[in-house]
Amino acid sequence: MVGDPFTRDDGNGMKLTDSASAGTSGRAPSVLHVDAEKCTGCRNCEIACSLANRSECNPVRARVYVVRNQKDGHISTVPVVCRQCRDALCMKMCPAKALRRDTTTAAVIVDADRCLGCRTCVEVCPFGAPAVDYRTGKADKCDLCNGDPTCVKFCSQGALSFVSAEDESFQRKRAMVSGYVEYLAGDAAVGI
Amino acid sequence: MSYLYGGKILRVNLSRREARFVPTDRYASKYIGGRGTNARILYESVDVDTDPLGLENVVCFGTGPLSGTTFPGCSRTDVMCKSPVTNLIGNASVGGDWSAELKYAGWDHVVLEGKAEHPVYVDIHNDAVQIRDARALWGLTTYEAHEAIRNELGPDVKIIGIGPAGERMVTFATIHSNIGNSASRTGVGAVMGSKNVKAIAVRGTQGVGIADPKAFLEASLRAHNTIRASKYYEEFHTIGLTLYEKACILSGLEGGGDGHANVPPSFDERFDYYSMFEKHCYKRTGCTGCPVHCMEAYHVGGLGSTVMSCELYPQLSYEIRNADPYFHYWLVMTCQKMGIDSVSTATIFQWLMELWELGIIDSTITGGINLEWGNKDGVKELFLRIIGSDGIGAVVAKGMKETADYIDARVPLDRRYDKSSYWWAMQVNNNPMYGVNPRMHGMALAYAVGRRSDCIQDLDMVEVDIANFPVYPEMSEDEKKRLTDEEKALAERVSGKIGAGDLDGYQGKAEMTHDQGITTGLPDMMGTCKWHTKWLFMDIEPENYAEALSAGTGREVGVQELITASLRLRNVERVLECKMGRRRENDTIPEKEFGRPVARGFWKGKIGTDRKEFERMKDEYYALRGWDAKTGIPTVETLLQYGLDDMVEDLPGRGGFGERRPVSEGDDAKLPDLDGKKERDGGSRETKTATR
Repeated sequence: MVGDPFTRDDGNGMKLTDSASAGTSGRAPSVLHVDAEKCTGCRNCEIACSLANRSECNPVRARVYVVRNQKDGHISTVPVVCRQCRDALCMKMCPAKALRRDTTTAAVIVDADRCLGCRTCVEVCPFGAPAVDYRTGKADKCDLCNGDPTCVKFCSQGALSFVSAEDESFQRKRAMVSGYVEYLAGDAAVGI
Repeated sequence: MSYLYGGKILRVNLSRREARFVPTDRYASKYIGGRGTNARILYESVDVDTDPLGLENVVCFGTGPLSGTTFPGCSRTDVMCKSPVTNLIGNASVGGDWSAELKYAGWDHVVLEGKAEHPVYVDIHNDAVQIRDARALWGLTTYEAHEAIRNELGPDVKIIGIGPAGERMVTFATIHSNIGNSASRTGVGAVMGSKNVKAIAVRGTQGVGIADPKAFLEASLRAHNTIRASKYYEEFHTIGLTLYEKACILSGLEGGGDGHANVPPSFDERFDYYSMFEKHCYKRTGCTGCPVHCMEAYHVGGLGSTVMSCELYPQLSYEIRNADPYFHYWLVMTCQKMGIDSVSTATIFQWLMELWELGIIDSTITGGINLEWGNKDGVKELFLRIIGSDGIGAVVAKGMKETADYIDARVPLDRRYDKSSYWWAMQVNNNPMYGVNPRMHGMALAYAVGRRSDCIQDLDMVEVDIANFPVYPEMSEDEKKRLTDEEKALAERVSGKIGAGDLDGYQGKAEMTHDQGITTGLPDMMGTCKWHTKWLFMDIEPENYAEALSAGTGREVGVQELITASLRLRNVERVLECKMGRRRENDTIPEKEFGRPVARGFWKGKIGTDRKEFERMKDEYYALRGWDAKTGIPTVETLLQYGLDDMVEDLPGRGGFGERRPVSEGDDAKLPDLDGKKERDGGSRETKTATR
């Protein structure tokens, strides 16, 4: 596949002159990383997404959705957004081949001109990430804002971050053990 | 539909079970929205003799133009009605997710009129408005009722509603949001309860139109980044106000009551909200659109879950000398579930416990409840009786004045030290005060002239900071000094007076209170949060609002226009207040507070408010506001200046404020004659107190 951002090693599909492309940064394309523990449920991501991509403030039309659950005053909030799956079911199952992989950002993007509005992508996605917009009647999903996600800029807690796929899991691992050094040094009374 | 606005105001007449709409345009150009439009609607809807808990009162819920947008803190609802506590304007603001959702449904305001035949809740889904049966929800806690409505209407519906306290019209009942905060002050929950409305549920999918999306997004992002760069941001969005409130205790700033003079010093040290936070806070949370997330979500095994922030920490712990953090937790959680104002509850308890200590009340008055300082069982028992409006609880639920009358009728004068028990009550116009000390000069002024008779709206927080920094936990001496100096310089810059940051002085306080009044008016009208302004040390300025409004509406909005709107708003409220009977002499703090220094803590023995100087500060403040120095009523010139021509005829001397005085046309000089005979509120009370 020419220009498949997941297989950079052949280098054939990349233009070295394009400094903005993932090819010249020397890193794998970044991914939208969700840290649900940090989410406070403020929905800044939803509102900002809709304004950036839909030109109006309307969370219903946003591509990210913060699921809020409450029980007896106990709250959980988890942002759900497209995972940009490697083997994306939406892409595979689309009868109109309206979904394709962006060569630069590795996001699965919708070609609205081809889209039938048949809702197959909505049905097959395990996360419910794509939606058929109720105004346009066309499929709509996160395209990572062409490599500069607006939601991340508006998330003050860092529950959404845009990180390199190479070390996404390392960042999580680091956060997980961040208290250990202090604990071993005996300086701080960290409860583990 | 105009940009940024839903374009319609929903008026629901519960008696007739009908809804109609009014175009927002009628108000928006002059009053912008939120508290501004609410004040005008209330002005048009209620009268001097409207019974706060009667059919004629209305409750206005208002969003602003920035509600539901990307602008930070975009989800505040301003709630306004005639207050059953003060008999003046009742006003409180609630965050959560409701305001934004109402906007998405295409409405700017909701006004409830009349009274439903049986308990109902209002269901708004975009343009469709239904009044639904809530008989099955009556009696449920806020948590349960919200959950039941979500089960009925779907998980995305946003709700504000009352708890059992509001149903029973406890005068300090609240309107509670999904998120965990509430419109608490001045009894707005009781008014909603008097209309038999359990909740308003909203679902909106229409969105908010933006004229220039790109510019608006950029302006919003700049505002977000401004907040993130603010001085206190790092602290507030990680540990909340746990340390800040601790500083308030150590400085002696919290603890308005008299009894606190006798609090043993070691008691101050026992209030460690931070360790409670470390042990039991499982998550930070906050309202829709907020980058600060000021609320801590707690779970304590065996007790349950709740959300706490800010004033909730010191009120039901320190104020009532309750050293058990878990009992404090239980009280706060129960306040939230039952829909009752924890601040008023704490202040009333503190007053009754002080009366108990003085020997003025005993178990014959309290119905067998022991109200010794720190007695958990007594507090719990009375608390539950207030919520249940049972026995003595039903008396206390009516407010401080009624409770004082009840006590005075049963306790002989000599046991009351020849005073009414009301003399010890920490109240302004019958509204229980915050725990914050009115012995600081700017604070005292803010309490007196605030629109709902509490300090929080016009409070000059710089003064609080200057008082707190010397004892701020976990801060080096150099840092303390540097920050104090910074704040003092800020005070001088804002007020334009040398020594305005001086806690012993009175200079510049009126200017700063006036300035804060303008500052807090803006977010209230915009439908955003005032925590993001310099009111609480964040850096959102009028420029940010102007920028966002310009981009959002496509019409150039200037800073001066907004400041004028904020000033106009306060004048609308003031005319309404004065119409309801408020005058200069009602703008005061409790009698006993004059000349008393701070009772304990770092500032012990220092700073107290002198009456003469206090009156002088008021003179200065009225002059800045353009209010008559003798009466406190806005002058004709002031109203004309702000384009409130149609309100002029409401002024006394112009034929307004009722029929009780034959005043010749335009003769302002006769105004003072009226002062002694105010019908309802403060006037009669003052007189009573004096004769006792």
